[in-house]
Amino acid sequence: MERRSFIRRISIALASIAGIFLGASFLKQFAHRHGEQGKRIRVGRLSDFPVDTYTYINDHKIFVYRDHEGIRSVSAVCTHLGCIIQRTDEGFECPCHGSCYSEEGKVVSGPAPTALAWYKMERTPDGKFIVDLDKKTGADEKLYFA
Amino acid sequence: MPGTDNISNSPEKIYRKRVRKITRNFFLHIHSPRIYPFSMKPGYTFGLGIVLGFLFLIMIFTGVLLMLHYTPSVESAYNSVKDIVHVVPGGRIIRNIHRLASHAMVITVFLHLLRVFYTGSYLGGRYVNWIIGVAMFVVVLFMSFSGYLLPWDQLSYWAVTIGSNIAASARELTDLLGITGILDIGGFFQRLLIGSETVGQTALTRFFMLHVIFLPLTLLVLTAVHLWRIRKEGGLSRPVAISSRETDKLLAWPMLMWVELSIFLSVIALLVLFSFFIEAPLLEPANPSHPENPAKSPWYFLGIQELVSYSAFAGGLLVPVLFLYFLVSIPYKDKEEQYIGVWFSGRRGIKVLLYAILLSVFTVCVQVFVMVRWGWLRNWFPDISQWFVMLVNPATITVMIFAAYSVYIRRKSGSSRMAAISLFTSSMVALIIFTAIGIWFRGANWEFVFR
Repeated sequence: MERRSFIRRISIALASIAGIFLGASFLKQFAHRHGEQGKRIRVGRLSDFPVDTYTYINDHKIFVYRDHEGIRSVSAVCTHLGCIIQRTDEGFECPCHGSCYSEEGKVVSGPAPTALAWYKMERTPDGKFIVDLDKKTGADEKLYFA
Repeated sequence: MPGTDNISNSPEKIYRKRVRKITRNFFLHIHSPRIYPFSMKPGYTFGLGIVLGFLFLIMIFTGVLLMLHYTPSVESAYNSVKDIVHVVPGGRIIRNIHRLASHAMVITVFLHLLRVFYTGSYLGGRYVNWIIGVAMFVVVLFMSFSGYLLPWDQLSYWAVTIGSNIAASARELTDLLGITGILDIGGFFQRLLIGSETVGQTALTRFFMLHVIFLPLTLLVLTAVHLWRIRKEGGLSRPVAISSRETDKLLAWPMLMWVELSIFLSVIALLVLFSFFIEAPLLEPANPSHPENPAKSPWYFLGIQELVSYSAFAGGLLVPVLFLYFLVSIPYKDKEEQYIGVWFSGRRGIKVLLYAILLSVFTVCVQVFVMVRWGWLRNWFPDISQWFVMLVNPATITVMIFAAYSVYIRRKSGSSRMAAISLFTSSMVALIIFTAIGIWFRGANWEFVFR
């Protein structure tokens, strides 16, 4: 093989390898990062949540709702474009584009494509509540006190 | 003294001297030493290109002054802007001028785009410069948008949150297809823009770098290529009938220089004047857990935000991409060079333009009225598939009506230029109406308000 031809082939091979690595790392960016969102978070004790009230947890953008029977949590992030929804008499409403959700988090009107996510809750032996952002539940499921 | 010397007073000597004034000056030689009288007609160009150039220079100058006092960190950004306004001598006026100039740039670049289109200045082999101009239009929008976050107040935080979420609007489609877990295109664009799912320090750093380095440099390079191509293509566009004889040209020195200087001084005078009366807003510091209500993006993106309120994917991605594709494709579809340099391509063009305006006003207003009065698909059929909500809404219906009408005009008139005028006009009028709705007729919770 001639020297020029050899150098050309080596150059093409090295450039191809670099291209594959660059391309793969670029495409990897498209993949959804599952691990980022999913985690278990401590939200507080029973006394932190007044009865029949949706308490907003600022750090994790969720509402925790407590009634006389149990406790449950719902995402406070609008499924349309990620604004923080607000509590209304009928359910929830997004201030950004007016998507309305029912008490169960179902889309009633507006551009939101999907219902709000409800998360599974647990209680630790020391009495603190944990919201598992990895595990979604139905709107009617709650963590019963008894 | 050159004026008293008989030899230097000879017409040929004066001519050469004036040509050299332009050609031997690093900054001035972007001009042609001799220009067509037609290019100087104020009613043809309105000086919009040169106004844009001067506004860009003012932006750079005031931007550098602001940078001396600004700290791009979540903890300090707000206070540093507050210091600029209340402590730094002249800081308030410099900030006001910077903001006014950025808004003026957005308006002027839009008007310049209209001027170039309606005078058919993309014709006659000028298609590359048209595409460069469209790219500059997008860069100017993003340059202004990237500066919006820097004060880190409630207004900027929520405006950019809305804007960055629009970047993720492809998720509506990937969610419907059930492939977001494998191919999260919306998330990719959002992370590319703000570095994570929410606006934070990474977003501020990125926006700062985009605003002060990447976008101004890009605009500078594009401006250089834009001006170079104008020179390569024989100066500003002009009608075919206009003489292109070299002897009919005017010397750029001193007449053009006087015109440019007067435009420059007028621009500065207006900006300084308005900066005393129009304050750049600075609300309370950003609070990520309490959105402004209504949370609105910058005014020039409110048309898109209005469309996004119908469907994230259709309004945030599909329609803007189709619009940009249309803009870029205009010179490839329309090659009727006889219309170059003629406002609205004559009487026939004006007629098409007026019908397109009527169609656009009617189409948009009727749909918005229906939506405000009776709601849309989700209100009528609560369990309707999201596919219908995404694909059948005022944004997509408007596009389809305009495209169909433009095809009709193409067939009826047999002219690609008339079809282009129809589609361009109806799109621009719709954009203006949607933007006006977003600015003045959307209140708390994005409810329609009419006061």
